[in-house]
Amino acid sequence: MQITSETLERAIEELAKLPGMGRKTAQRLAMHLLKREKAEVHRLADAIKDLKEKILYCESCFNVTDHSPCSICRSPKRDQSVICVVEDTRDVYVIEKTGEFRGMYHVLGGVISPLDSIGPDDVRIKELVSRVNKQDAPVQEIILALNPDAEGEATSFYINKLLKPFDVRITRIAHGIPMGTELEFIDEATLSRAFNGRNTF
Amino acid sequence: MSLYFLVMIISNISLKNFRNHTDTHVSFKDGINLITGPNGVGKTNLVDAIHYLCMSKSFVTASDSYVVKQGESSFEIHANIAGSLRQPFNLSCIWNRGEGKKFFVNDSPLDKLSDLIGTVPVVVLCPEDKKITNEGPAERRAFLDAMISQYSKNYLADLIDYRKILRQRNSLLSSGNTRNIFAMIEAWDHQLAGPTARIVAKRHRVLLDFATHLEDNYAQISNIRLKPTFEYKTFCEPTDEEEAIKSAFLKKLEENREKEMERQLTLVGPHRDELVFLLDGMEIRKFGSQGQHRLFALALKMSQLTWYYDIMDDLPIFLLDDVFGDLDPQKIQVLTNFLNNHDGQTFITSANISPFNGLIDFNSDKNQSLSVSAGPEISGSSN
Ligand SMILES: [Zn+2]
Repeated sequence: MQITSETLERAIEELAKLPGMGRKTAQRLAMHLLKREKAEVHRLADAIKDLKEKILYCESCFNVTDHSPCSICRSPKRDQSVICVVEDTRDVYVIEKTGEFRGMYHVLGGVISPLDSIGPDDVRIKELVSRVNKQDAPVQEIILALNPDAEGEATSFYINKLLKPFDVRITRIAHGIPMGTELEFIDEATLSRAFNGRNTF
Repeated sequence: MSLYFLVMIISNISLKNFRNHTDTHVSFKDGINLITGPNGVGKTNLVDAIHYLCMSKSFVTASDSYVVKQGESSFEIHANIAGSLRQPFNLSCIWNRGEGKKFFVNDSPLDKLSDLIGTVPVVVLCPEDKKITNEGPAERRAFLDAMISQYSKNYLADLIDYRKILRQRNSLLSSGNTRNIFAMIEAWDHQLAGPTARIVAKRHRVLLDFATHLEDNYAQISNIRLKPTFEYKTFCEPTDEEEAIKSAFLKKLEENREKEMERQLTLVGPHRDELVFLLDGMEIRKFGSQGQHRLFALALKMSQLTWYYDIMDDLPIFLLDDVFGDLDPQKIQVLTNFLNNHDGQTFITSANISPFNGLIDFNSDKNQSLSVSAGPEISGSSN
């Protein structure tokens, strides 16, 4: 396609940088936006801008929020003595959807991965330790809910080691076979892990 | 033995731009398929295509850019395969420059290359096999890993995990950040320990079974009674007790902490295992003659096949590329005898049919002889 507008070309270039977006899709999207109402496109543009200008990280749990501390951290109905440690904000949404967990969160913002030059200081582990160390609101349980891959497991191992000296129970979520899944559709790694983590019937 | 065997059969194959094959279609028989022709016309490439489809790589060259026909940007392999445990299926590979390779079972893509391994088990015997006993320990580990991976998907998954964790650990050791290394190294030790224990235990168990196969097959092929043995050497006394291996491994890592920090490299683990092959107690790598290396390789591959007989649901496909030219008449007779008794499908490449005269019946329903001439052009010469 011959592009006759630099403005359009710039929009396509920026859109094409988004994850999962090929150049063709970006072109289609840019042409689509061009045809929409001005107000509609402005609303989208503002929403994107606000992501960077209005959203903050909660000073306590580091979840994204419009006001810090976030609504979960401020809620008097939630159990302050239990903290669930997750890799990123997406995980908070997933766990919240279950409605099962009524404690606090701690968002690490990543996991340790030497190949990507991410060390313990590049994720919010120090901040977790100081939350546990705080005298006024004693934490009784830390639930590690990181991905069961090598990086998640290594990060869990390190956090467990750091928190051992404190008077706090450290647990981890169980990894196993998804509900409603038939055994033959589960990959070997998941199945082996489910076997290793089996419990008495 | 009148047991009936379950076999894997490649009924036909089509190649597009695979090495010198622009557009080749061939049908195969269930038994022995002999492919003859002068050097350089593409008989090895034909069996290499079968290997590629089974193992996701060539046994001739390491780089896919040498697999695609010169001047072309993609190649394809399609085959119809019948196994006893499942409906006949088609298996395809499509490779593009830039995108790499993708495999399909009945037109649905496989998520991971590792899903392919073991789908159609294969054993290949070729002149390069001398490297197994002749060269460094990496060649022997590669032989062992390819052999076990086709049979055990868990083993292959552990190998893949192990390599990934090893890269992470080596990256930490070479980061130059001493504080991080001290803080984190133990976490990576424990990550590595799980796959390490399972890999070592599996290698140990498999090798125990493999030993008798090797002894039997070497005795068959060699008329001089030398006893082939091997020693599996790892960082601890080999055992199948995974917990024992795990704690020995963690202890060894502790002991080597300083050395590893200095060398910035993981110095302990199954990636440094050694398999020492011996003939009457003498290390073949150091003392073996050219002829002994060749016979040992032959016995190793026959043993891989006979070990598979014992443990696999379907008999694997056996590829013999250019190995008969180097053998004396007595060994040709032993090997053709082995092939006539082998109930699985076999592919042989050879310059001509003469070594097999009176030994293999290419007029039988099960076998065929094909000849490849320049083009490449393939024609049947049996019927
Ligand atoms: Zn918060």
